[in-house]
Amino acid sequence: MRRWTALLLAVLAIACGGGADGATRRTIIDSRDNYDPRSLDPALSTDVPTGRAVGYLFDGLTRFTPEASVEPALATRWDVSPGGDIYTFHLRRGVHFSDGTPFVARQVALSWQRVLDPKVKGGRGWPLYPIKGAKEFADGKSSRIDGLAVPDDSTIVVTLKEPFAIFPKLLAMPVASIAPDRIPANFGEAPVGTGPWKLVEWKHDDYLLFAPNRKYWGTVPRADSLKARIIAEPSTAVAEFESGNVDVLQIPQGDIQSWQEDTERKKLLHSTPSLELVYVAINTTRGPLRDVRVRQALNMAIDRRILVRNLIAGRGDLASGVIPPSLPGGVKTRIGYQFDTLQAKKLLREAGYPNGIDVDLWTSTNPIYVRIAETLQGYFQLSGIRAKIVQRESAAAREAARKGQADLFVKDWYADYPDAENFLYPLLHSANKGVGGNVSYFQNAQFDSLVTSARREQDETKRVALYTQADQLAFEQAPMVFLYFYNELNAVQPWIKGFVPPVIFNGQPWTTVTKTTVGK
Amino acid sequence: MTAFIIRRLLLSIPTLFGVLVVAFLLLYVAPGDPVMAMVGERADEATIARLRAELRLDDPLPVQFGHYIAGIAKGDLGKSYITNRPIRKDILERFPKTLQLAGAAMLLATVLGVTLGVLSARHPGGLMDRFGLAVAYLGISFPVYWVGLLLILLFAVTLHWLPPSGFGGIRYLALPALALGMRSIAFLARMTRSAMLDALGADYVRTARAKGLSEFLVVGRHALRNAMIPIITVLGLDFGAYLTGSILTETIFSWPGLGRYVVNAIARRDLPAIQGSVLFLSAVFVLVNLITDIAYAKADPRVSYN
Repeated sequence: MRRWTALLLAVLAIACGGGADGATRRTIIDSRDNYDPRSLDPALSTDVPTGRAVGYLFDGLTRFTPEASVEPALATRWDVSPGGDIYTFHLRRGVHFSDGTPFVARQVALSWQRVLDPKVKGGRGWPLYPIKGAKEFADGKSSRIDGLAVPDDSTIVVTLKEPFAIFPKLLAMPVASIAPDRIPANFGEAPVGTGPWKLVEWKHDDYLLFAPNRKYWGTVPRADSLKARIIAEPSTAVAEFESGNVDVLQIPQGDIQSWQEDTERKKLLHSTPSLELVYVAINTTRGPLRDVRVRQALNMAIDRRILVRNLIAGRGDLASGVIPPSLPGGVKTRIGYQFDTLQAKKLLREAGYPNGIDVDLWTSTNPIYVRIAETLQGYFQLSGIRAKIVQRESAAAREAARKGQADLFVKDWYADYPDAENFLYPLLHSANKGVGGNVSYFQNAQFDSLVTSARREQDETKRVALYTQADQLAFEQAPMVFLYFYNELNAVQPWIKGFVPPVIFNGQPWTTVTKTTVGK
Repeated sequence: MTAFIIRRLLLSIPTLFGVLVVAFLLLYVAPGDPVMAMVGERADEATIARLRAELRLDDPLPVQFGHYIAGIAKGDLGKSYITNRPIRKDILERFPKTLQLAGAAMLLATVLGVTLGVLSARHPGGLMDRFGLAVAYLGISFPVYWVGLLLILLFAVTLHWLPPSGFGGIRYLALPALALGMRSIAFLARMTRSAMLDALGADYVRTARAKGLSEFLVVGRHALRNAMIPIITVLGLDFGAYLTGSILTETIFSWPGLGRYVVNAIARRDLPAIQGSVLFLSAVFVLVNLITDIAYAKADPRVSYN
């Protein structure tokens, strides 16, 4: 046996031969993707890893900065008609796709048409539905999109169904990116775009490797290459970061405390006010939950301060509405529901439930949501709310909530574009009940009218005021247990310069990020 | 022997058909809708209805099944709902990686497990035997994800000998193979030990010793060969299990094999991908079992299939 051990160690020593040192590696390596992108075809971009990669390879008419403001991309500027329903986009000239084809206005219309085409099976047409005739085209009721006109190669005129002031923000979403005229069958594997990076190779479930697009119209990436590794297990991503093999790490929510308390690791942390609301959707059509007093009682039954402190090491801003405080319309001064079991019990009594209520509390198997559910269950009990936890794998849990079968459902909402509308409209407008995102099945005519007016309002100050009013109403009506806005935490290696973790997931093109190499 | 192999292969067709039926029905009983996974967090009823129609999900179950079987008969496993890629291509891209990991794990298990078992059996109750027992306890009781994380911590993060995860040469293979093979090492060591103890006490071993054969020949040729049957059984079963995608190991070590593919497909309710993988993996399992049976005959002349 001793001989065997010696042999094994010798083999290991030869095989290992010194690991790759992070400081001398030239490729920048990202570890934030935890599953393989769906495709690299923008029309199929419905998830984060796909959207992130599509953002490297393609451009939209607009784009997000890391700080989540919207700036011109393939459109250099746009004019809005006085009525607010006609957008004339003036396109950038002299832009080429990575295969050399020139970029012209026709491709904008074709790309959007593809996104909406049922045959493409993308499934995410809604960012383009504000365009006149887009929904009819998607539903097969019309063979063309009425609202798109291409007067010349560098202009596209978009007529909307009704005024929608934040339309240019939606065009920065990956799904609205521009693809060339001809889309071969393997486009999802061999994409051709105008973006800052070109695809070198894609090893499924392993990594995507990108090289700078030297002919990029904007800032050509300064790094040699960019690799997006796909690491399913968060602990493994941490190990890769600690071994110096990856440059950026999203800190798993359960590990926050240990990173913040370690003086060395703490120096590498970057905090981002992410646009993620963590909440418990209350189905406002089920049993006692129809009563606003019961919903308010649920909000008062819990101590969110303790929950945020103990479960995510304090990295959340307590929510008192659905608009993140970092967005216009969000109110930092609104005092949220306070932990008060006496008041909660009193409200339940007034609503006619002196003996408390029984509810099902649904959660996915995501460890952080399971912990939230267990914590809430404990708090609820203090006020006579008997919650039964129903834990299901995430697709199944989400489906039950969408079908209106869950009383309470612990979930989150991550913004697609930085605007209060992206919280108010999908989460609580009655047009979006169920699959649209409103799993509270909340229906309130006044709220609907405020949000609808805000969507149409051209004047930003007035629009923001409408958002605030709608948010106040949502707060009072309590169609959810307001928990917190999560502030994302990323670790960045000391040899990386210029990386700012983006507020919106596709807001960091890595063009100005560099890696200092030591000893070379 | 040839007749036996042909008979077994023919018999596997109804087995695989049964697997398909069960897999198909299970997927329709399980909650979770593939279209919901395709549209993401925000959608509308019309889009969902359109996609369901496009994917023929609203057809009656027998029609859907017939449609699927017709595709299989033509050798077409269909296209993924989520990625639009052909399932066959996806599986063929990932299976060699799973095979590589399973092969390495089995190699480690055979070499370390059998050696440990033989050495333990030579002096029951001795130091080596007690060491073997400890290894077996640990290997069987520790779950693979825990062993995996410990291996990463020790060999990658602390010692910097090996990369924590990823796919590549032998450096990347060592840790996942050890994590995956751990249970088999433990199991084989115990199995080999008891089979060897039986064999070493048998008359033919005494005869061999009486003939004056060297201890190496007695143990290696006479005893071990007779102890092989249970060992082959365990090897065959474990290898079959490993080939079907070692889900946890592949996830922890970011190994781009079939196990992760299946897990992703299940999470997204990608029906054709799940069915295609189940069919493929069942075929592999049937094949491995057949090879195990053939190996019995090779190891033991008393076993005959004719």
